[in-house]
Amino acid sequence: MPRSLINDIVSEAPVHDGRISFARLDGTETLTLAELYERAGRVASGLRRMGVAPGDRIGILAANGLEWVLLDLAALRLKAETAGFEPGKFEPDAELLARYDIKLLFSDRPSDAPGVVPVADVRLLSEKQDDDEPLLPVHYGPEDTTTVKFTSGSTGTPKGLAATAGSIDSSLHAVQEIFEHGPGDDLFVFLPLSLLQQRYWIYSALRHGHDVTISTYEAAFATLGRVRPTVVMGVPAFYETAKRHIESRARRAAKTSSPEDAVREAARRLFGDRIRYLWTGSAPARAAMLTFFDEAGLPIYEGYGLNETCIVTKNHPGASRAGSVGKVLTGKQVLIDEDGVISVRSDHPVNRRYAYAAPGDSERVFGEDGTVRTGDLGHLDEDGFLFIRGRADDVIVLDNGKKVIVRPIEEQMKSDPAIAECVLFCPAQTDLVAVVSPSALPADTEAIAARLARTNSSVERDEQIRRVVVAQEPFSIDNGLLTSQFKPKRKQILAAYEREINDTKEGIHAA
Amino acid sequence: MQPETETAARENLSAVLTPEIAPEELDLDLDMVEAYGLTSLNKVLFLTSVCEETGVNLGHFTEHDLAAMRTLRDVAEALSRYTNEAV
Repeated sequence: MPRSLINDIVSEAPVHDGRISFARLDGTETLTLAELYERAGRVASGLRRMGVAPGDRIGILAANGLEWVLLDLAALRLKAETAGFEPGKFEPDAELLARYDIKLLFSDRPSDAPGVVPVADVRLLSEKQDDDEPLLPVHYGPEDTTTVKFTSGSTGTPKGLAATAGSIDSSLHAVQEIFEHGPGDDLFVFLPLSLLQQRYWIYSALRHGHDVTISTYEAAFATLGRVRPTVVMGVPAFYETAKRHIESRARRAAKTSSPEDAVREAARRLFGDRIRYLWTGSAPARAAMLTFFDEAGLPIYEGYGLNETCIVTKNHPGASRAGSVGKVLTGKQVLIDEDGVISVRSDHPVNRRYAYAAPGDSERVFGEDGTVRTGDLGHLDEDGFLFIRGRADDVIVLDNGKKVIVRPIEEQMKSDPAIAECVLFCPAQTDLVAVVSPSALPADTEAIAARLARTNSSVERDEQIRRVVVAQEPFSIDNGLLTSQFKPKRKQILAAYEREINDTKEGIHAA
Repeated sequence: MQPETETAARENLSAVLTPEIAPEELDLDLDMVEAYGLTSLNKVLFLTSVCEETGVNLGHFTEHDLAAMRTLRDVAEALSRYTNEAV
């Protein structure tokens, strides 16, 4: 592998002109990356004065901002670990410090708990000249860990996973190989910095000399047009929201220009006029959304990866195929077993087990060499593009032995504007029954019936849907039928509509 | 609260809701998240759009102010304080 990026950015001040900006609703603050490096060094000295030593762990529970970035880089310079906690999902209390072995927790939330420090103090540390002894040089081996990241757990307690320096180096190297971020680029980050991948783009800027803009979540849409980034780091829900906004603005403008021009202009107004590409990941994207942005003149690239694997595949300007999540990145290997279940082997695994998890969790996910069993189903085409077909637990086995992967069928149903969500069940192990969440009330049952007929005509006989139960109200987080990530909760939907699913007289019947 | 600000707030909230609810059917005093399933991203986009349309600089507000706007009335009243200087 080429030189370690992590070791580079902790040992040398950047010598390029790259800048980092912090966007909030009330304005933007910009500094050079060289200044950021210097200020992070002062914070590292400050942390050392506060008793933080190599191997200690500091927690950060705060909105995106300069202080977050300074703490992260300062910890790297000290060889202390960080633990990034997403605001709203954690509380800055003594229990959090104890549970995750945190020495000091920096938070923008009020707290009287011992060990909690106001994050605003970090700015003061970074501005004050100190006469301390210089920082000792640090070096990261590939197996050394720099941070603990959190992932939702089945028990409700987030699982903690320490990420190795080797995995960060490997991922950043592979991404750089395909996207070639460099001077002239400005990468826009608004998702929480507690997500390690969002901090990658700061590390990348320090090394490769491009600009990076860190926005608060609230300021994202307001500042995009002003910042004029070349790359936006987003997730499907963000782009779906943006798509609706662009469509709505374009409809109003279509009286004076062609629909295509109106969409392109509305997209440019929202994202600025310098977009090179849009990055999407973390959750499956709808084909209609991806096509929309491509046609609007904003190329969008979907990828695939889990917290446990980091980025595994990615479409990019040099190799992109519709419907796929891209080719496998350098340093990763995708293994597909006879049932189609994907495992991922990495030259430098994120880790070989969770640092914090319920007994058995690590063994279920990680092989001894760090190979991760993803639980996703997929296949590689002849050119090496990966296609994800669903979750292994989304497979319905019919009484004739036929295995039906429900996601592609559900996706076909969902491609209809009248359908927001579709979940398939198989109450008698013979016939598939769909529960559909309508896009609007009253539900457009004619459109749903037409979509049912079209879907059934395009799938194999065993994959055809016999009946569609239309939900009385759209699935939502509030009614407990969607997760906080807006994914349908199958068990709860089954419980809510059990009678209709089992009653063969109910619903819209296939022709 | 200015009527035109209220109208803009209603129209822009309606535009981001799924399923869509007509602007005039929106209740000014209901919690937008609980009653209408407004997601955090949609809330941000809705507020950005309504500020843009009414000429109010979103920079008047902090991230904390945005979080505190729970009802359509909160939004319309907060914006009305600044719409005079916008025109």
